[in-house]
Amino acid sequence: MQRRDRGTVQAVGAPLTVRVKNSRVLLIGAGGIGCELLKNLVCCGFGSGYIPPNGANGIPSPKHTPGITVIDLDTIDLSNLNRQFLFRKQHIKKPKALVAKETALPFNPAVNIDAQHASIFDPQYTVAFFRSFDIVFNALDNLAARRHVNRMCLAADVPLIESGTTGFNGQAQAIQKGVTECYDCNPKPVQKSFPICTIRSTPSQPIHCIVWAKSYLLPELFGTSEEEANDMVETEGDDQEEVKKLRAEAQALKKIRGLMGTSEFAKAVFDKVFYEDIERLKSMEEMWQTRKKPVSIQFDTIDKLSAAEGAALASQDQQSWTLVENLAVFCHSLATLTGRAQAGESSIDFDKDDKDTLDFVTSASNLRSHVFGVLLHSEWEVKQMAGNIIPAIATSNALTASLSVMLGFKVFRGMLAAESETATTNGHTMVMKPNNPPLGGSKFIFLNPRSTERIITTQNLARPNPACPVCSPVYAELHIPPVDADGNGMSTLQDLVGILIGNNDYAHFTISTEAGVIYDEDMTDNYSSPLAELGIEPGSSGFVTITDDDEDPRADLVLSVTAAPADGGLSIESHISYGKLPLKPVPAAPPTESGTAPDVKSAMNGIALLNREKRKRGAGDDGDDEVDAAAAKRAKAAPTASDAVVTIDDDGAILLDD
Amino acid sequence: MSNGNTDATNGDTATETQTNGLSADDFALYDRQIRLWGAKAQEQIRNANVLLVSLRALGTEIAKNLTLAGIRSLTIIDDEPVVEEDLGAGYFLRDADVGKPRAEAAIPRIQDLNPRVTVTSGGSLAELMSKDQNYYAAYSVIVACDHDFTTLNVINTGARVAQRPFYAASIHGMYGFVFADLVSHEYVIEREQSNMPTTIKPESLTRSVTSTSSKKEPTGKTTEIVQKREIYCPLLLANSSPLPKEILSNRRKLKAVPALLPCIRALFDFQRTFARLPDHTPQDAALFISLAKNKAGELQLPQDTLTGDFIKSFMQNIGAEIITTAAFVGGRLSEDVLNVLGQREQPIQNFALFDFETLVSPIYCLYSPPPELVMPALNGHVGLLNGLNTVAVPIAEGVVPAAEVLELE
Repeated sequence: MQRRDRGTVQAVGAPLTVRVKNSRVLLIGAGGIGCELLKNLVCCGFGSGYIPPNGANGIPSPKHTPGITVIDLDTIDLSNLNRQFLFRKQHIKKPKALVAKETALPFNPAVNIDAQHASIFDPQYTVAFFRSFDIVFNALDNLAARRHVNRMCLAADVPLIESGTTGFNGQAQAIQKGVTECYDCNPKPVQKSFPICTIRSTPSQPIHCIVWAKSYLLPELFGTSEEEANDMVETEGDDQEEVKKLRAEAQALKKIRGLMGTSEFAKAVFDKVFYEDIERLKSMEEMWQTRKKPVSIQFDTIDKLSAAEGAALASQDQQSWTLVENLAVFCHSLATLTGRAQAGESSIDFDKDDKDTLDFVTSASNLRSHVFGVLLHSEWEVKQMAGNIIPAIATSNALTASLSVMLGFKVFRGMLAAESETATTNGHTMVMKPNNPPLGGSKFIFLNPRSTERIITTQNLARPNPACPVCSPVYAELHIPPVDADGNGMSTLQDLVGILIGNNDYAHFTISTEAGVIYDEDMTDNYSSPLAELGIEPGSSGFVTITDDDEDPRADLVLSVTAAPADGGLSIESHISYGKLPLKPVPAAPPTESGTAPDVKSAMNGIALLNREKRKRGAGDDGDDEVDAAAAKRAKAAPTASDAVVTIDDDGAILLDD
Repeated sequence: MSNGNTDATNGDTATETQTNGLSADDFALYDRQIRLWGAKAQEQIRNANVLLVSLRALGTEIAKNLTLAGIRSLTIIDDEPVVEEDLGAGYFLRDADVGKPRAEAAIPRIQDLNPRVTVTSGGSLAELMSKDQNYYAAYSVIVACDHDFTTLNVINTGARVAQRPFYAASIHGMYGFVFADLVSHEYVIEREQSNMPTTIKPESLTRSVTSTSSKKEPTGKTTEIVQKREIYCPLLLANSSPLPKEILSNRRKLKAVPALLPCIRALFDFQRTFARLPDHTPQDAALFISLAKNKAGELQLPQDTLTGDFIKSFMQNIGAEIITTAAFVGGRLSEDVLNVLGQREQPIQNFALFDFETLVSPIYCLYSPPPELVMPALNGHVGLLNGLNTVAVPIAEGVVPAAEVLELE
């Protein structure tokens, strides 16, 4: 133990310090929370245990090498530097994971950091990879990746510390399979979407006009129409007649695309969407009985500024442009985007950091706002709404990352206690340890900004939701033997069905992968297919799900795929037996999510009506994260009786806009 | 007041984006935080000069957060030599810095975080102890960490005479506290309009609503803009103030007061008497326990609040620095400082406790009205004074006179 460790040793004790030094830690995300987390882990000595040099004196390097692995797919942007303190201006555009490692290493020369510039969805991050760690810390900014890591940690049975921040709010929680609720035990809020007719015919708020410009007009003019947008949906409230007319309108707009590059293009687009379409809407009197009628505008009646003036205005993003100025920026951005399209860019999608598309969306949405009597906004404001930018500050990330590592210490303390309990049990006296709460006394912790009474609010970790589709299944490994040099020994679907019946006592069941059902009693087409052809092979991060088709079904069996040992055949972990599986929990009533029907799938000229999650980086999510609004509300609404600190006064209300 | 922000007027709101002298580069770099607190608050932050006394673990975190946020200048006073123990949580220090003065060694790496901020050393603590109010008036906020009660009081008094907000904080392993004396602070809270109208009236012994207005959001919701004022007392008075009535008169709330509070008061006393931290000796333990018991009694806490287990744990943690506690306490203090500069959000009133063993962090208003009159002997030269226990501090302009405050009940 070095003198630099003195503070940690004094605060948490020597055994726990040694335990964390020899731990293997996975940190996913090197953004706002990730930079802070990495600093805390490094300074506390996580993963700084001694690793003997590889092969020195014939001693192989240990299987369990201490260290911190940090994974992030992102690169550094200027707007990160106000809070992601491991990055400097000269690091812009470089991979976050690599720079974070470079900056954090000198904080503690003993630490071992493995930085990987990659997506956590990449296939090399298998269940076995996750299982090689003692603990996983999430420092993510999107729901899809959180859900994925949650599931991988459940399958690998590795404790996960989950965290998130929004503005002054933040939260951290510990998750472990079978012990606590998992990330998916509670429904998460879905991305907000709007009825198609509100966007296309009856906008009443700035956001309606922005969605129109970003998800309808821009893709119609510069996109490949197959691209699906996810913020407009066709709802039951939408008038079917109107929807048909809107479809025709979009077809007409497509024809105007043919004029791109000619001098009439801007005028044609403008008069189509701000005059003709508006005149048609105005003629539908019943639509305006309770609403303010729009006022159409014509290209030729508005004063024109020069192209140079349009370009100059586009750089003034703090002020709200006038009608004339918006037209100038509209023409400017249309010309710029046309230039890019003609230079070979086949599809230009909205990206908040692509200035040309932002200019277009700002000016087009403002022109539409003008037509519908909606308040006009500056480009800076439009950027936030169009890009779903979540405000993010350094301190909330620092607070939340600190809580994550505090929870990490508690989880390790729980492991130590469990280990010493085992040791005692193996001896002759059994000493009961009533003071060993799950995960070392970890809690669900919320920051409590604005409260005059407390800085944090805690909740006892909830038990797993028995009906949770993600953590209620039984997770196990499927071992697949290697193929020999002659290509023999290739396992088929038939072999898998065979062992399920023969070794694991299954009778009636369905097998599915992420691609869908590959086998049931009436679907045997794939019977002789090698498993590898069905995407089931070692080294993939996908799962195989066995669903019981019996009348009183057993829990789903979810298999991760690994290579069988050299002499092993195709097998499922030996402790898995159908008779021992728990009964499948009765599913709860289907969740009713915020009015819209997320599963309506109907494409209207390329506008997606499907509400799905975005995985693409840079297009939507930003900031460091989202606070689990549902959980925060739960903390406020349902204080646990055992926990005196959960009562929140009115000043401490956590208000989150959807 | 050229450098201070404490007297700026309010009225504008965060969502109004105005250039206000911020450059396009400022907007690009500070984009995500301006979207939270607005351009006006960012401009006030940019005009702020902060004095930070002590650069151990806690000071390191505060220096990082304030520099990232883009204050105008950060002056750091810490001339103690770097020791190897500092390297654990002092991530701006390296092995080669051992022996150098702490602030000077770390400043280049803090400066590197944000070239727009001027980060400088403010000399020695001994020099600071003899500074008068003119020195403190040059700063917008004064933050002092990890110092003993007497030192904190000298700095607090200097800041108060200059009518500048003052923060004190310490960490001890898994424990810590933040104290705030913002003299008299006006701030704005924006919230969704509720059915209950907000009336202009005192809300507590120290807090009152001074005005309200509202604005319509693009989404159709209405945001209520509530202007409030908090009045404060110095550490010297807070340290002997009773718990507020609403705690003392509520058995459940009184029972929930952590043993950390009497222990921190006991530690202040111990340091004042012995000019050092207690050691892990039976003698010191006995002394400390009797002090803690006294303090628990003074605070009217139930008998079972102060347990042997807690005292043992607290004493074990005294003086220990661990990055997680430093990051949280320093992070929360920084958040408060930035909000105070931007005159937004509820500030800490006035004593926040942090216990990361049990994960509780209550805030208590330990308030006694400061004496109304400036003692003539003080004459603005606090550095000349000894025997701080008897020093009275002047009441700040705008502070509600004590008599008026007392009528609130």
